[in-house]
Amino acid sequence: MHGVKRVQYSQAALEAKKQRDHDKLKAYLALSDDVIARKKSHDMSNEAFELTTRLLRMNPEFYTVWNYRRDMFIESLFPQRSPSEVNELLSDDLSLTFELLKQHPKVYGIWNHRRWCLEHIPDGPSPDDVNGYRNSTWNKELFVVEKMLDADARNFHAWNYRRYILATMPFPPPPKSELAYTTRKIEANFSNFSAWHQRSKVLTTLWETGELDRVKSIEEEFELVRNAMYTDPDDQSVWIYHAWLIGNGNYAARLQFEITSIQELLDEQPDSKWCMESLVRYKRLLIEKHAENLGDKKALVDSCLELLAKLRDIDPPRRRRYDEIAEGIRSGNEMQ
Amino acid sequence: MDFDTIVLGTGLSESILAAALSKAGFKVGHFDANPYYGGDDASLTVDDLRDWAESRKKNTNTVYLEAQRQRFSSISLTSSNVPRSRTFSISLSPTIIPSVGPLVDSLVASGVSRYGGFKLLESIAVFDQPSKVKPVPTSKEDVFKNKELSLVDKRRLMRFLLFAAGEFEGSNELAGQETQTFLTFLREKFSLANKVADAIAYALAFCTSPSDLTLPALQRIRRYLRSAGRYGPSPFLVGHYGGIGEIAQGFCRAAAVNGATYVLGRNIMSLNPPPKSLGSQANLRWSLSLDDLDEHPSSRIVAAQPAYISSSSPSSPGGRSARCVAIINTPIRFSEPPPELNDDVSVEDIGPGEIDTGLLIFPPSSVDSGSSTAAASCLITGEGSMATPSGHWILSFSIPMSEQDASREPEELLKPYLEAALTLTSSPSPDSPTKPLLTCYYLQTLPSANMVVLSGSPQPLFTVPSDIVVMSETADTAATHAEEAFWKIVKDLERKGVKPTKIKSEGEGERSEEGVGEEPQLITQFWPPLDSVGDDDD
Repeated sequence: MHGVKRVQYSQAALEAKKQRDHDKLKAYLALSDDVIARKKSHDMSNEAFELTTRLLRMNPEFYTVWNYRRDMFIESLFPQRSPSEVNELLSDDLSLTFELLKQHPKVYGIWNHRRWCLEHIPDGPSPDDVNGYRNSTWNKELFVVEKMLDADARNFHAWNYRRYILATMPFPPPPKSELAYTTRKIEANFSNFSAWHQRSKVLTTLWETGELDRVKSIEEEFELVRNAMYTDPDDQSVWIYHAWLIGNGNYAARLQFEITSIQELLDEQPDSKWCMESLVRYKRLLIEKHAENLGDKKALVDSCLELLAKLRDIDPPRRRRYDEIAEGIRSGNEMQ
Repeated sequence: MDFDTIVLGTGLSESILAAALSKAGFKVGHFDANPYYGGDDASLTVDDLRDWAESRKKNTNTVYLEAQRQRFSSISLTSSNVPRSRTFSISLSPTIIPSVGPLVDSLVASGVSRYGGFKLLESIAVFDQPSKVKPVPTSKEDVFKNKELSLVDKRRLMRFLLFAAGEFEGSNELAGQETQTFLTFLREKFSLANKVADAIAYALAFCTSPSDLTLPALQRIRRYLRSAGRYGPSPFLVGHYGGIGEIAQGFCRAAAVNGATYVLGRNIMSLNPPPKSLGSQANLRWSLSLDDLDEHPSSRIVAAQPAYISSSSPSSPGGRSARCVAIINTPIRFSEPPPELNDDVSVEDIGPGEIDTGLLIFPPSSVDSGSSTAAASCLITGEGSMATPSGHWILSFSIPMSEQDASREPEELLKPYLEAALTLTSSPSPDSPTKPLLTCYYLQTLPSANMVVLSGSPQPLFTVPSDIVVMSETADTAATHAEEAFWKIVKDLERKGVKPTKIKSEGEGERSEEGVGEEPQLITQFWPPLDSVGDDDD
């Protein structure tokens, strides 16, 4: 971080740490050799199981050992055990993976093992209540993934996992509460593709089921995204969400309104590349889809070309792209 | 008792100095006439505050107390019964500490950070009208969520924040504007609306008047913007148990662990200069006469709060501020009470309600019968920063006395602000507004200097000037001054051939043998390396 000085430790302190690290490394290598040897010899004992626990705590990325552990569950630990005991064992592993995820939030192997545990929860606790264990475990999962997203709202592992939970859990919360969740995440930091993406998925569902009035909802979404746009015109995720809201551009009045609003932003922030690019995109849509209603088509075309010329200047690496778009506009124009 | 340096006063600056000198291997004697650590920065219980008020009002026969009487005047304290009075920590110098700066650097490098805890300041708000405050947007997230700013205001505010966080020296916007007032700069160069400009000037840069200049304000804002995010969204920390008084005590503890001697609660009857000598200057010593102590501690160097040296301070028209401490038992809210919960609204959607540790700023003319030329601040500290028992809060008000307000009594000037703050509490009934359990008003005057360092000659070796410093800069200024004094003292002692004694620390093995003709280790750093690597330092 800027302006933060490093702490200095004495020679003696550094030597002591080096010695501690050396000892840790020796212990790890010995353990790792032992566990792999046991796996090779198909050791399915409790003792081997405990050793995998120790090893995975030290190195949770060792996916071979996760596999070995699952083999032991299936071959020796689950058979001849009651459902409540199996549930107990899986709960312990869920606790273990949660602990490990706190330190290593992006390790595929840990997330994978969690899913496996969830999918192997047995029927129970009784023949009348076959889903009891599953329901209570799955409900807790949402809480777990929320903790992970609190720690890092842009962890795609966590967002994927969240979608998996919502799709699989027996009694998922209503989509409206998921919408509120995305609102919270976006308010905390709107530079977050995953949150906007989730929001688009949830809104689509809510519009389809009729729970939210589509027209009113889209108005509110434009309001929200406009606030983000004005706060930080350089944030890509905001413009991509805006483009999704515009969709195929069939609604001319909306296109006009947004074009005016973005133009005002460009007036405030004359160097904004995203403003210029979006204006070109939306004006093109007007030209292509609403030609018959346009008063002064030539003015629109000219303004697009002017914007593209500016874009060539401020974004030289994409010069040829802007040229091609300009060509497209000109030739489309000539054909009419 | 012969020391390498005697330090008089256990305020933050002097305590940092004592700790640094001790850790460097010098023999330090640290004295304070008060029976507590912290000096003018101390954290006091309710009874301590009462004693403090009494002792500063009485006529007295010691240099120190006479100087204190001049520094703290027009004291009036009223209180009803305050329950659990010993669990309050009232700071004489309420301060917020930027997360990036010399004090935090010193706390970490010295290891004193391990002695205490800190609370992140929750919220800063600007008083708008009775019962209403406006939040101060300091980050992109704040600006985005704000419902009161127009879209264009948001863009302009963000443009300004980005400018202020970067390298603005030499920029076009600043050309020729360094001595322009900050408010005018904001309005002209960034087209910020008046209320937005006020919030930036008074609640982000902590300007105290409309005539404050641009460049220093911008530099402060940059420091604070860069402090945001280090420990949390807010740039500022508040120390547990009353703030910098507790931190000063932490540095004293570090000094003691490294061999410094501490004497608290004894009056210093006189500080005696070295006898005039025609011979070598190197061995001249100052000595202290302490009340009820036969021995006279002596030292080549004395670093003192001026109050210990002379009771007269030059009367300066500037440099006076009115202060108020109040204890209340109803919480202050910065936002409306929560709406009804329904399926669409979850608990997290509701904004911060009650404030535990927050800052309330009153721009000039924001309060009737207040000041129209100076801004006031109110630091709120509660249970979360260990300053109070549960259900109680301390409000600390401060306002510089401008020329216009010069003849006003502190109580008359600050009472309207206290009442304004109390409109933000939910009172038991509309007819009986919240009444504080304790109020203490006083006038605080700048001392002639912050620290004086005396060596062999009659002229001081070094004087730390006394400047008007905004609340958010007090802690860092103290750390910077301590370091300056440290180097002056170390160089002077080295010149006189005084070598620091290396204290044997764990793991270092035998004391290094110094052969004949070998040069002793010279001191090259303010803080020596720490002795152990904690596991959480990885």
